[in-house]
Amino acid sequence: MKKTGKLAVSAAVAASAIIISIMLIPPQWYSDNLRMRLGEWFGAPEYRLPESASTTLELNPDETEEACPEDLAGWRNEAVIEQVTIAAVPGCKADNPYAVAAFVRGTNNVSEQTLMRSGLTPDAVVKGRDLDGDGDPDEIHIRLEVVELNGGSPESGEPVVQYSIAPGVTPGLWVFAPKMLGMATENFESNRAREMLRSPSPTIRVEEGDRVFITLENSHYMPHTMHFHGVDHPFLDGNGEGNDGVPITSEMPVQPGQARTYEMQPRQPGTMFYHCHVQVQVHVLMGLQGMFVVEENRPNNWLQTMNIGAGQVRASSRAVREEYDSEHDLHYTNLYSELNSRVQQSNDAEAITHSVNRLFNITEASSDYFLLNGRSFPYTFQESLVVVRPDQRSKLRVVNGGSTGIALHTHGHKVTATHFDGVELNSASRIIRDVFWIASAQRVDLELDTRNDGLHSYGSGVWLLHDHQEQGVTNDGIGPGGNVGAIVYEEFLDESGWPTMYGEDWSQFFNPGYYRRPVPGGGEVISSGMLLRLIALGMALGVAAASLTTLFRVAFKNR
Amino acid sequence: MSTRCIAFFVTVITSVLWFPGLVFSQHEHHHHHGMNVDADGMVMNHNATELPLDCAEISSTYEFTVRVGTSHASLPGVVFGMSQHEFAVAPCSLVTINFVNEDEIRHQFMVHGLPMYLYPQGMFHLEAAGGTERSGSFIVPGDDQTYLIHCDMAQHMEKGMKAQLVVGAGSGDLWSVPGISQNFLNNSGLGTVSRNKGVLGALLVAIMAIMSFLVLLYLGKGEQNGIE
Repeated sequence: MKKTGKLAVSAAVAASAIIISIMLIPPQWYSDNLRMRLGEWFGAPEYRLPESASTTLELNPDETEEACPEDLAGWRNEAVIEQVTIAAVPGCKADNPYAVAAFVRGTNNVSEQTLMRSGLTPDAVVKGRDLDGDGDPDEIHIRLEVVELNGGSPESGEPVVQYSIAPGVTPGLWVFAPKMLGMATENFESNRAREMLRSPSPTIRVEEGDRVFITLENSHYMPHTMHFHGVDHPFLDGNGEGNDGVPITSEMPVQPGQARTYEMQPRQPGTMFYHCHVQVQVHVLMGLQGMFVVEENRPNNWLQTMNIGAGQVRASSRAVREEYDSEHDLHYTNLYSELNSRVQQSNDAEAITHSVNRLFNITEASSDYFLLNGRSFPYTFQESLVVVRPDQRSKLRVVNGGSTGIALHTHGHKVTATHFDGVELNSASRIIRDVFWIASAQRVDLELDTRNDGLHSYGSGVWLLHDHQEQGVTNDGIGPGGNVGAIVYEEFLDESGWPTMYGEDWSQFFNPGYYRRPVPGGGEVISSGMLLRLIALGMALGVAAASLTTLFRVAFKNR
Repeated sequence: MSTRCIAFFVTVITSVLWFPGLVFSQHEHHHHHGMNVDADGMVMNHNATELPLDCAEISSTYEFTVRVGTSHASLPGVVFGMSQHEFAVAPCSLVTINFVNEDEIRHQFMVHGLPMYLYPQGMFHLEAAGGTERSGSFIVPGDDQTYLIHCDMAQHMEKGMKAQLVVGAGSGDLWSVPGISQNFLNNSGLGTVSRNKGVLGALLVAIMAIMSFLVLLYLGKGEQNGIE
């Protein structure tokens, strides 16, 4: 080929490649000025229908979770195990009844088979002598470990020992947990936490006058303590050692790998609270908090020492059964995911300590997740429904373990406060209302009366039960979410325990995509047309560059 | 290679079928293995007699005393330590582990990936309550393989209780074994990935441009060589 011919071909190729490149630059990349200028020169582009005329959320149906998975193990049924009558759970998900039985009888008093099916260690809840001779054990020794859920791993970008508070939401959490044998996950191939390793820390129940020993076996990599808020306990234990769980006044914290036993013999009944008292602005909000109930002394009163995940109490105390048809523990709290995510960002315990205690600043952070019994809506409907029948009375024990108050509102009902902070109100001071303000750490015992008189109840239905501060009914600002639960009349439940409802399609709420916020600056997937355009642009630029190189090489060669 | 694939498949299937409630029934069917539980812990799938299929006899015996607890956390960042993180043995050998827990909390010594036909779920497992000891034995297969050893309590592997059992020449170090191998991700490895579309797009354009540039230059060179 002649030199001039070659020059001409190269120049033509280069010029056309450059023109094609310019044409292929996506219009979205033009500057506003250029767009205006082009409009002036060539006229504004013709009207086109927007690609998506609506703002409908596009969810991947493959991600949709089952709202109410079938109860294959039959855990919802009423059962008698180890002579313990365990109430049926009308809602969708139920606790392991073998664990309930072991908590009532004591892990030292049940058969090997029941213990294996509960997953508990033989010393998890040891029940000893009957000190007052009334037919129930009064020496109670409870052992608790500290478990990190959704922790970080040096080998995976995914959190390990996973526990979702809502579809696709896995904030790092620390919880007190019953002492269990074996793995932390469902099995070796699974990354999901066993069902008893969950938030909130379990409700603990003891009887007035019991000699209670609670051993904190610190299986976590941070120092912790236990403080029994509102529970009658001495400042020093029998050995003259601090017993209040407060590092700045009563004792040094329990270091990783160490254990410490707290002692108490509570003289007053009531709904109380317990939590870790180390760096409370971090440890309490990471999940180290639970309800603590001191039940009135009654003869032959075998108590369900732990209620895993709070919720319906399947083996209530005698005093509660005398007055109520059902009992529910409702534990409210809130999270700051900026704090919770910090434990997932490093694997060095010292770096994590520095990050949560020094870099995280709660006075500048805002809370974004709101939990009822360790979950947010829609999971609250799987396990924390308050199921009732007409003309019944239910006892709701409510604790707010969060950093902000909640304005707890009952749809369809006005409820009566019977106790504040565990202290019974006399009949004149019992208030009936439909919004209760519950400050941080406060407890309120509520009586839910389902007589249809237009005051206590407006009749059967699916009635919401939620915080009326609007951020509390969102998951990171996206609603519906947060601590929305419901009071549901049994006639509105189907066989599986799911409420019959007449509103929006719930499958969208059970899709993680629903709660995924669009990433600012565009997090959406690049469309296939755009992808082709970008590939073609790249190729055209390459061709242009190559032909220009050839052009110059030929032009300046043999000069 | 294919046997390993089958073994993996079997492991997955069995694990799916297995859940904690079934452990007891396995205890009944495999009376020579199974679980031995008491107030202070458990020994699971102890086996000092039955040979793996690829072993004609026990080649040699090893006994290790491994001490665990916060007092053995000598490496930076480790909270729950082990007195040793590597156990090297010959193929077809009988391995006895004396597991000494020096903490006041539970710990575990769990070996994974052993043949499922001898060790249900492929596991050999010791669990000791605080301040107690547990011993047990197992016989390793005949091929060169590196097995995972860890404590499966939440965050205990991540905070130090990870080790490897190297049979024969092994099959390469596992990731993130304290003192032995590097972390797969560094400390800040769980940071969020930027999903900025603009950056992705620009990157794509640049890659395509460089590729076509190089291809064309290469073609052009061939043509030039042809002329000259």
